Amino acid sequence: MSRPEQLLPRESLLWIFAAQFTVLLPHFARLPLWIVLGWLIAVLWRFEVYRGRREFPGRLVKLLAVAVAVGGLALSYRRWFALEPMVALLAVSFALKNLELLSRRDAFLSLLLAYFVAATLFVFEQTIPYALYGVLATAVVTAALAAQLGGFSARPRRAFGLSLRLLAQSVPLMLLLFVVMPRLEPLWAVPQNSGGASTGISDSMTPGDFTRLSKSDQPALRIAFDGPVPPPEQRYWRGLVYSHFDGRRWSQGFGVDPREGARVSWRENEQPLPEVGPRYRYRVIQEPTRNQWLFAMARPHSETDGVGETGDDRLVRSIPVYSRFAYDVRSWPRSSLTPSSVLGDFERRRNLQLPAEGNPQARAWARRLAEEHGDGDSISAAVLAFFNRSFTYTLKPPALGADSVDEFLFESQQGFCEHFAGSYVFMMRAAGIPARVVAGYQGGEWVEQEEYLLVRQYDAHAWAEIWTPARGWQRVDPTAAVSPERIRDGLQTAAAEEFMEDALLPLHRISVLNRLRLEWDMINYRWYQTVVSFDSDSQQNLLQRVLGEVSPLRLAILLLVPAGVGLVLLLAWLWWTGRGARLPRAQRLYLRFCRRMARAGIPRRQGEAPRDYAARVASEAPRLAAMAAAVTAAYERAAYAEEPAAERQLARLLRQWRLTATSPVASATATPGLDSGGTQA
Amino acid sequence: MQKIISAIVSDIGRVLLGKEHQVKLALACLLSRGHLLIEDLPGMGKTTLAHALAQVLGLSYNRVQFTSDMLPADILGVSIFERDSGNFRFHEGPVFSQLLLADEINRSSPKTQSALLEAMEERQVSVDGETRALPDPFFVIATQNPLHQSGTFALPESQLDRFLMRISLGYPTREAERALFQGVDPRAELRQLQPRIDVSDLKRLQALVGQVKASESVLDYLERLVSFTRQSPDCTVGLSPRGALALLHAARAWALIDGRSHLLPEDIQAVLPSVAGHRLHSESGDGSQLVERLMHQVDVIAA
Repeated sequence: MSRPEQLLPRESLLWIFAAQFTVLLPHFARLPLWIVLGWLIAVLWRFEVYRGRREFPGRLVKLLAVAVAVGGLALSYRRWFALEPMVALLAVSFALKNLELLSRRDAFLSLLLAYFVAATLFVFEQTIPYALYGVLATAVVTAALAAQLGGFSARPRRAFGLSLRLLAQSVPLMLLLFVVMPRLEPLWAVPQNSGGASTGISDSMTPGDFTRLSKSDQPALRIAFDGPVPPPEQRYWRGLVYSHFDGRRWSQGFGVDPREGARVSWRENEQPLPEVGPRYRYRVIQEPTRNQWLFAMARPHSETDGVGETGDDRLVRSIPVYSRFAYDVRSWPRSSLTPSSVLGDFERRRNLQLPAEGNPQARAWARRLAEEHGDGDSISAAVLAFFNRSFTYTLKPPALGADSVDEFLFESQQGFCEHFAGSYVFMMRAAGIPARVVAGYQGGEWVEQEEYLLVRQYDAHAWAEIWTPARGWQRVDPTAAVSPERIRDGLQTAAAEEFMEDALLPLHRISVLNRLRLEWDMINYRWYQTVVSFDSDSQQNLLQRVLGEVSPLRLAILLLVPAGVGLVLLLAWLWWTGRGARLPRAQRLYLRFCRRMARAGIPRRQGEAPRDYAARVASEAPRLAAMAAAVTAAYERAAYAEEPAAERQLARLLRQWRLTATSPVASATATPGLDSGGTQA
Repeated sequence: MQKIISAIVSDIGRVLLGKEHQVKLALACLLSRGHLLIEDLPGMGKTTLAHALAQVLGLSYNRVQFTSDMLPADILGVSIFERDSGNFRFHEGPVFSQLLLADEINRSSPKTQSALLEAMEERQVSVDGETRALPDPFFVIATQNPLHQSGTFALPESQLDRFLMRISLGYPTREAERALFQGVDPRAELRQLQPRIDVSDLKRLQALVGQVKASESVLDYLERLVSFTRQSPDCTVGLSPRGALALLHAARAWALIDGRSHLLPEDIQAVLPSVAGHRLHSESGDGSQLVERLMHQVDVIAA
C-alpha cells in the first residue's frame, strides 16, 4: 500500500496527536460532543494501523465518514453560514484527516491545519488566558513539526527546544507585523450563532430578569474617564428605554427600539449638539452582549464609528456587539441643558400607554393622587413617599399574580428595582404624567491604579423617567426612595445578606480575593486596550505618530528599513564571528609597515622573517634602512618579547613616519623614475 | 653566560673551519638535550665536530665505530663472571659516557641500532633484566653516510625521530680549505682545546633554554608551520607533536645562543631545516625541499 520508508514513525504520530489534542481542547466545550468522539475514533484507528492490527480505511469507509460528518453538522447547527458551523467543519475535516495520515506529507498537512485550528480559537475568545493558550498551542504544533525532521528530533526536549527557539526568533517579526499589517475590515459580516444564553440586559423586562442578573459578577462595562468623574449618584448608564407595558412585561415598543422604527442619527451633527461643552468625557469598553444597545449617561454623544444616537438620549450600534467593543462618549447632564417644553403628540401618547385593563387598585389610587396634587412633581413625591414608608428592598421578592402592580403595591410590598421602577411608571402614567422605564447599569466599582470604573452584571438596574413641562425628561429612581444605599454604595451593601448567596463559594466575602479579582480585571483591561482593540484606527494613529503621515512609501520604508538593518546586522555579525581571531596590535602595526614598504616597491615575501626583511630592505633601499631596522627592532620586542613599551614605540614610529615622511613613501615610489632619469642624464 | 657560549663557538670554530652555523646548531641541539645526527660523506669533519664538542664542554667521551657485525652488547656492556668474587660483574659498554659518538650508525644492523633507541630516549639501558641509568648529561652524536653508499642500513623513522636534529656539514668554504692547505692542523688544535664549562654550567645553560620566552605571536607561527605540514598534500607525514616540541626547544636554544631571552620567528627558521628535515617525507623522497617550501609558504606574521 505504501512504501515502508514513507510510513510515519511512532514518535511522529504521537506528536501529531498531541498537537491535535492541544489545538482542539479549547473547542471541545463549543463543539458538539460527537465531533470529539469522531476525533478519538480516528486517532484510535490510525494507531491501530500503526500497530498493524488494521488497514487504512478504504474509500467506502471514508466516504461514509464524510457523509456522516456532514449530516451531523447539518443536524447540529441547521445553518451553514455562521462561524461556529464553519469552525466545526474545520475541526471535523481535521479529525478525519487522521484516517489518511500516511506519509510525511500528510503529517505536514495535518500540522499546518492545526495552526489554522489554533487560530480559530481567537474568533471566540480574545482574553489573556486564551492568548497564552494560543501561544502554547503554537509551540506544541511547531514542536510536532520539528519532530518530523527525523533522527532524534522527536525527543521532547529537542523538539520543544527547537520550537521555542523558532518562536522566540519570530517574536520581533510578530511585533512588527502586529503594528504594520493592514487591519482589513471583514469583507462580509460573519454572523455568530447567538443562540447561547448570555447574561445581560434584554430588550424587555419581566419580573425576575434583574434578580437573575444580580447573581452574576461578570463584568459588563469598563469605563475610563478623561477629566471629571461623576459622583456616585449620577452614575446611571442608560441602555434601554421600555415604553410599552402589556400588563406584565415592559418592552421598548414601536418607535423606541431601533429595530422597530426608532429614528437613530448615525451621522455627525444630525442632532444639534448643546452649545456648552460636555461635562464628562469617557471611554466605555463593553463586553459582548449580542445586542445593539450601548450604555452611556444621559445626553450622550459619541464619535466612534458605527455608533448612533436615538431620540431618547441613548446610544446604539449599527451591528450587535459580538465581541468587546470600545466607544468614546461625551455626556451633557440634563440639568445643564435647557429642556424643550414641548412633548410631541406621539411621544406623549407612547409614554402614557397602559394596557386597557388590569391593576384597578393602582389606577384608582393614581387618579386620586392626580386630583389631589395636580402637577407631576408632587404626584411623584407622593408615590416615592409611599414607597419609602412601607416597602422592603429584597433580591427575593415573592411571586406575583396577574395584577402584578396591584399585588406589589398593596400586598407584598417587597421587591427589587424592576418592581419599583415598573409600578412607579405605571402609577405615573395612570395619573397622566408621561413616564418610561429606563434600564441599564448603575454605579460601578473603582479599579484603583487604572482609575476605571468596573461595572458588573449585578450592577444592572432599572429606574424611571418622567416628563414635566418645567424640566422636561428627568430621572426618578424609586429604588433610591426605598434603599438609598443601593444607589450610593451598590447592591453588595444594600442587600448584604442576600447578595450572591446562591454562589457555590462565597468568594465575594473574602476581601483579598476581591482585590485580586480587581487586579486581574485591570490586567485584562490593559490587554484589551493595547492588544485586542488595536484596530485599524489605533494602527493608523500609531503609524501617524511614528511616521507623521501614512503613505504606502513610508509604510514600505517602515517595513524594509528594519528588515534591511536586521540583514546588515546579521551580515556584520557573520563577518565578525567568521573572520577569525583578531591579530595582536603589534602584528597589525608591523603589517602596516609592510604595506608601506610594499608601496615603496619592496614587498615582504611570504615566510620572510622580520630581520631578513629588514636586511633586504636595507640592501635594496638604503634610505629606508634605518627606519626598517628601528621598526623591526621595536616589532620584535613588542611581538616576541611582549614589551608594552615597545608596542607604543612601534606605534609612535609608524605615526611619526607618516607625519614627517609621507615623503619617503612618495619619493620611494618616485625613485625608479628618478633613477631612470638619472641614467638618461 | 653569553661570553661562554660565544667562546665555545669560536673554540670549535678553530677546529672546524668555516662551519659556524653548523657548530651553533650542534650546540643548540646539545643545549636542548637532544641527540644529533650528522649526515655526510666520509672525511668532512663529522668526528672532529663531535670530538671538539666533547672537549670544550668537558664531557666524558666515547666513540663507537658501528659495523655490520656489531651486537647490542658491544654498545651497552656485558655481565662477565669473575672468578675472584664468584659473581657476575657488569662491564659497562661505551654507552656509559656523557657524549657518545656513534660513528657510521647506519652500517650496523637494525638490531644494534635499536639497542641505542632505549638509551637515547630513556637515558637508561636494560641489560640482563637490570635497568641502569646513564650518566647525566647524555648525548649521542651519530654520524651516517648518505644512504646511497654501499653497505648501509637505513635508520627506521622511529629511530630518526629520536634525533633532535640532523645536520650535514658540507664541503668547507674556499677560505677554510685554503687554511687547511696552508698547514692549519685541526688535530693539533683539537688536542689544545680546554673545557670551557663544567657539567653544572652545562646544566644551568640547559635550564636557561627553557626560560627563553615564547610569545603568543611566535607560537602562532609555530602552530601554522606544524598545521601546514599536516594539511599540505605534499607531506605524506606531518610533524608529530614530538617533532613540534623539538622544533620549539631547538629554536629556544638557538635564541639563547644568539643572546636573546625571547624567541623570534628567525630562530625557528634557523633550526627548521635540521629539526624537520629528517622528520618530513614527501612523495619525492627527502624532506629538505619540503622544508624550503614550508619556510616560503607559511607567513611569519599572519595566517
